[in-house]
Amino acid sequence: MTTLIGGEMLAWSDLDGSHGRPPASGAALRSLLSSSRGRTLVVGPHAPELLESLPASQLTVLVRGDSDVPAVSRDGVTVLCGSLEKLAAEPVYDTVIALDGLDRLLSAEAEPHSWNETLALLLAVLAPGGRLLLGVRNLFGVDRLVALPTAPTDAEWEVPDDHDPDRPAGHARLLAHLTASGLRAARDYAVYPSLSSPTLLLSREILAELTLSGALEAAVAAAVQPTTDALADPARLATRAVRNGLAAELAPAWIVIADRADRADRADRADRADRADRADRTARAAPAVHAAPANHAAPANHAAPAAPGGAVAGTGLVAMTARAAAPAGPSEPVGPGEGVAAATPDAFINGQEARLPASGLPRGRTLEDHLLAAAQRRDLPTMRELLTAWQSAPAAGVPAGQVVVGQNGDLTALASPGEPLAALRTFAAEAIAGGYAHLWPIPADEAELTAVLAGMTGRELEPDEVPPAVAPTAHAVGDLLAARDRLTRELAEAKAKHEWYEQMLLRREAELKRVRQLNALLSATVPGRAATTLVGGLRAGKRAVRSVVRRTRGS
Amino acid sequence: MECLVHHANHYYGHSHVLARYCGLDDTDPPRLHGYLQHGWNIGDGMAPDHEYVPGVPKFVWSERVRRRAWSLGRREVYVVGSPWAYLVAMEPEPAGAPERAGTLFYPFHGWEGQHIIGNHEGLIDEIKATEEGPVTVCLYWQEFRDKRVRATYERAGFRVISHGYRGGWWKDLDPGFLYRQLAEQRRHSRVASNRLSSAIMYGTLAGCEPAVYGDPMQLEREKSAFGGQARIVREWADLHGPKLDLTVARRIATAELGADRLLPPAELRRVLGWPSLREDPDFELTGVLTR
Repeated sequence: MTTLIGGEMLAWSDLDGSHGRPPASGAALRSLLSSSRGRTLVVGPHAPELLESLPASQLTVLVRGDSDVPAVSRDGVTVLCGSLEKLAAEPVYDTVIALDGLDRLLSAEAEPHSWNETLALLLAVLAPGGRLLLGVRNLFGVDRLVALPTAPTDAEWEVPDDHDPDRPAGHARLLAHLTASGLRAARDYAVYPSLSSPTLLLSREILAELTLSGALEAAVAAAVQPTTDALADPARLATRAVRNGLAAELAPAWIVIADRADRADRADRADRADRADRADRTARAAPAVHAAPANHAAPANHAAPAAPGGAVAGTGLVAMTARAAAPAGPSEPVGPGEGVAAATPDAFINGQEARLPASGLPRGRTLEDHLLAAAQRRDLPTMRELLTAWQSAPAAGVPAGQVVVGQNGDLTALASPGEPLAALRTFAAEAIAGGYAHLWPIPADEAELTAVLAGMTGRELEPDEVPPAVAPTAHAVGDLLAARDRLTRELAEAKAKHEWYEQMLLRREAELKRVRQLNALLSATVPGRAATTLVGGLRAGKRAVRSVVRRTRGS
Repeated sequence: MECLVHHANHYYGHSHVLARYCGLDDTDPPRLHGYLQHGWNIGDGMAPDHEYVPGVPKFVWSERVRRRAWSLGRREVYVVGSPWAYLVAMEPEPAGAPERAGTLFYPFHGWEGQHIIGNHEGLIDEIKATEEGPVTVCLYWQEFRDKRVRATYERAGFRVISHGYRGGWWKDLDPGFLYRQLAEQRRHSRVASNRLSSAIMYGTLAGCEPAVYGDPMQLEREKSAFGGQARIVREWADLHGPKLDLTVARRIATAELGADRLLPPAELRRVLGWPSLREDPDFELTGVLTR
């Protein structure tokens, strides 16, 4: 069933990516959808396959282009086509999913809305106690910090801008803004490399785990590998952000899962219905359910008042949520966020969900971090040890940035291994680009440095045996400038050396000349002549002997 | 003084020792692409009379010298450790070596450009008052050739030796210098001098108990570069005195000689710009220099 609500765009698709960035998609986002419940509204471009896991009967999808209607239509799904402000402002949705953000919800027909006004439109349709899954692009994220200017796309008839005073600038302000809007963030994630197709989600809980810094740096570096030219290498910037505790602040985007906290006693309508139903049935089947485990308080609480009164489970729920909310105070009810943490992962890394405390991630810093730290301290003996351990381990073919060094020195690879020399070359490239080339007394050439690094492990290697570098798909302007300066300096040094060799050659030639003159002079003296005669005689004798030998052999 | 880049690298057979460590022909070490520190040094590791070609690496013995050189504006400085440390590593003291005895004393020496001014008799008295065992005095070749100086020490009952001529300008090089010095030091239980110098560092690394005492004497026109003798006494106070803390002395000598920072041969060959083993068709013939 499709309803045109007004403001729809004709012959327009947000899903095909032809008018701007592609729609929100990917397994990382799918891992968050399990937190949705009840009647669900999806707004903004989301890849249709992403929505497949949501129950069709409860699902309403709003698209603004008519071309996108077929893609999101399936049995039971309500499809709305038009601009968000045309949507009836009735709080009927238990969950609103806007993982693409607020920038592509209004059509070209709509009057401009600020970010805050657009959020208000969403909140207007969110039921009390309802849940919002919101994506927000960070206009000061690493992707923006290194981006070269680009031409606006068709979809950017208005461009989101951090000059907009209504738009919360920064991670902390976003959360504060949502709280002020009556929402309580149950989960918030730093999103890499983009809101459209994130491969990495890092919750505040996992970012607080300092011992996971290596795995997190590796994940961030892998996620933001540059695909287009940039001002600086985004991977280097992003890993530094992780090291400096700014992974959330500088993330390209954020996703917040927040519950509307305007009325605690109506916190979770869908859950309440489920629970009441369950409690009712349980009470009728077995009154002994009072003995339910204390940490699973909901059914027990539901059951207690329900047993005598029949099916008045609502009272029980009020009691439960009120008690739960009590420690936090009435303005900050805890109840609504419950269940989100369990339903969503603490991180989505390398295509997998990670949950604390085990997380499945190795603890420690990356090998690259260790190596560069040793390099900066000029602790070359430690560097030699690390390089040797790495190059003689199964992780030899894995780039140093994707290897975590454990407490007892064990190496855990976070990527599949390739050619060890290629991994060594990657580290050499990183050392040069990172400004560490001056450590070694050689021209800052990747192959040369790779050979020296191999030498540091005791391995004999010539630069021409180093596998050629993969042609870079993207360049960083900062690196290009640094390379230019380096090459200018190296050329000047090469010229100075050339001059020195030239002088040296002239000096040697003069010396040779003097020696020859001396030789000629000495040859003219009586002992000199005698010596010449003697040498001549010996040579003649040698020739004679040879000819005799030849003749003897010939006969 | 006009000075070219590399000839100092061959002083005392330093490059010969490194060539041997690298598995190359140590009778004819390849050209070393850079400047090699050739003595214990309180400055930037390089001789004051060097002219530097930009971009040519400076190979210093210790991390401390590297830091100092960097602060003095030197770049392309790389710590390789001292040739002495490589030699000691390659020539471990054999088990069952004759027991060490006596003291090897190195009177502070001048060099070809500057002679020493001082009272050798006064120094002899101090040595006699301090040392209990037999004393060997090692003179620099210049003083060794001076019959009067030699006779002065011989009259005192000391054995007088010289490790040889350090060489220069690729002429009269003496690749056996360090080997003779090591052998001699290992015959003695103590090594001493009236000034802290390379020889004291060497001796400490070679297992001798070091001592620095006596009139430090003067060089002709001695300039106090980098704080001179006064700074040496101040900064390396732990190495001054007739009886020193051996553990501290060994730690300092190890650091100053870079014995804790030796490079693997493959790395050393690469940074010195030397051929790899495979490039040298005669490498199998390479052996220890016949001495």
